[in-house]
Amino acid sequence: MYKTLLIGFVFNFFFFQASFAQKAADSLILKLHLKFGKDDLELGKKYVSTKKDTLQIDVFKFYISNIEIQYSDKKVYNPTNSYHLIDIENSNSLRIPIGYKNNLAIKNVFFNIGIDSTASVSGALEGDLDPTKGMYWAWQSGYINMKIEGKSSSCKTRKNEFQFHIGGYMKPSYAIRKVQLEAKNQEIDVSIDVSEFFSAIKLSKINSIMIPGKEAMELADYSIKMFKTE
Amino acid sequence: MRFNLRNTLFIGLLVFISLSFVKKLTEPLYFEVPKSWPKPHYNFKDNPLTEEGFLLGRNLFYDPILSRDNTISCASCHLQTTGFTHVDHALSHGIDGKIGTRNSMTLMNLAWSKSFMWDGGVNHLDVQPIAPITSEVEMDETLENVVEKLQKSEKYQILFKKAFGTTKITGQRLLKALSQFELLLVSSNSKYDKVIRNEEKFTEQEQKGYHLFKNNCSSCHNEPLFTSEKFENNGLTIDTTLNDIGRMKITKKPEDYLRFKVPTLRNVQFTFPYMHDGRFKTLTEVIKHYNSLGNSKNVSKQLSKPMNLSDNDRVDLVAFLKTLTDTEFLFNKRFPFPKENYETLTQE
Repeated sequence: MYKTLLIGFVFNFFFFQASFAQKAADSLILKLHLKFGKDDLELGKKYVSTKKDTLQIDVFKFYISNIEIQYSDKKVYNPTNSYHLIDIENSNSLRIPIGYKNNLAIKNVFFNIGIDSTASVSGALEGDLDPTKGMYWAWQSGYINMKIEGKSSSCKTRKNEFQFHIGGYMKPSYAIRKVQLEAKNQEIDVSIDVSEFFSAIKLSKINSIMIPGKEAMELADYSIKMFKTE
Repeated sequence: MRFNLRNTLFIGLLVFISLSFVKKLTEPLYFEVPKSWPKPHYNFKDNPLTEEGFLLGRNLFYDPILSRDNTISCASCHLQTTGFTHVDHALSHGIDGKIGTRNSMTLMNLAWSKSFMWDGGVNHLDVQPIAPITSEVEMDETLENVVEKLQKSEKYQILFKKAFGTTKITGQRLLKALSQFELLLVSSNSKYDKVIRNEEKFTEQEQKGYHLFKNNCSSCHNEPLFTSEKFENNGLTIDTTLNDIGRMKITKKPEDYLRFKVPTLRNVQFTFPYMHDGRFKTLTEVIKHYNSLGNSKNVSKQLSKPMNLSDNDRVDLVAFLKTLTDTEFLFNKRFPFPKENYETLTQE
């Protein structure tokens, strides 16, 4: 009898292993491509913005949350607990597994740039929301939705540095932004073109925004323009 | 029959083995809400209190490992015998002897607090420690680095395992453990509390003081927590060496200019100096300040009428305020530096 149990157990083990592996291959993946114009974005590389600012990016991190996939039958698939920290220095973060694949055509993809107010008032959270990730403010609670830091000769600041920490969870400075993208094919490839952000600002004038408020709200609006489906 | 017996024995053995693991599980702690107190604001479901979590939090609270050069712990500015605040310093000092811009707050009855810090910038007890840990004049450390240091410590690997089941140390677990310790800092056994529970009686002077308190102070220092949790302008002029605008820094609203959190008055006898910048050394100075207001502009409406306290009234009021001293809390053996030796702390 124990023998049968043991054989059953071993069989189950391999069976489940195989079925889960199958599932992983079938799952939908949201792929992110970080760009500056037509080029792939690289840290420390010099780029020129449409505002004629020569600049380099040293930090680029942001949150994507509440991903929704809308299929051709108008039904929406909404994976639970979807908070993802995207970091140019962590290539794994550029592939977000959605977990569920439908045979229907994907029509639209929705997601938020940043963290909603509910999560922002829920204390110490885990995973990508753990405050050790360097995306949490201290003196005033709340997540930094997007961090862009770098250098530009246009900035008359210490070491020519610019820092943008965009965030804020309280109205009227609620900086979360919803992005709606039309799916171009069955794979969701989203490009995030940082040059769009820098074509909206002149670095000699705006180079350090690190608190919630009116300026952060404007920068959050500009950040939406970076996202496009490929 | 024999087969069944064997099966029964086998199942029995399994149950026995499972039960032996029960002993290793955490010991839940019950958070007692004092009689007639409001419901706590903290959501205990997200962070269930356990003896092991509390003990871990207590160790972290007293450990300078939280600071950049391992010199400053939470207790450096929050000492138990003075209501968990930094006594005798108008402005609290931190790493390298650097001085901050505010008087450290007391730590007690935090389960009922809706916001933290003098300007209410912190929205949840769990995330409050991030502010002092990362402040360059307090601990000047990063949360990430604290977690790394803790991961290298054998003691903390054991303590985290006992509290959370695995040796995994994360920012979330560190912060939740600190909350567990702080949540249990409940002060509810002062003479005042005993009088309310009909276990003791006020002296005549204290009774007079209580009457004055109810007429002049309790609209902001609401019983039984002795704070309204609101932000008020209490008529202090701005200290131009600090230029601390208070709540307005957080909300950007002009009406919040010079508004600060109403602090609790529990154990106020020992939490001197007073006010957000520690400008008053004695309770008498504090009462004199409020007595001097009257018809001031911009002051919160509760203070718009002059208090007109006589010298005798002032003495009576101070006598009442001293009944808020909770010696059991200030000397509770559950809260000081954990002296238990390493073996008892880490034994399985």
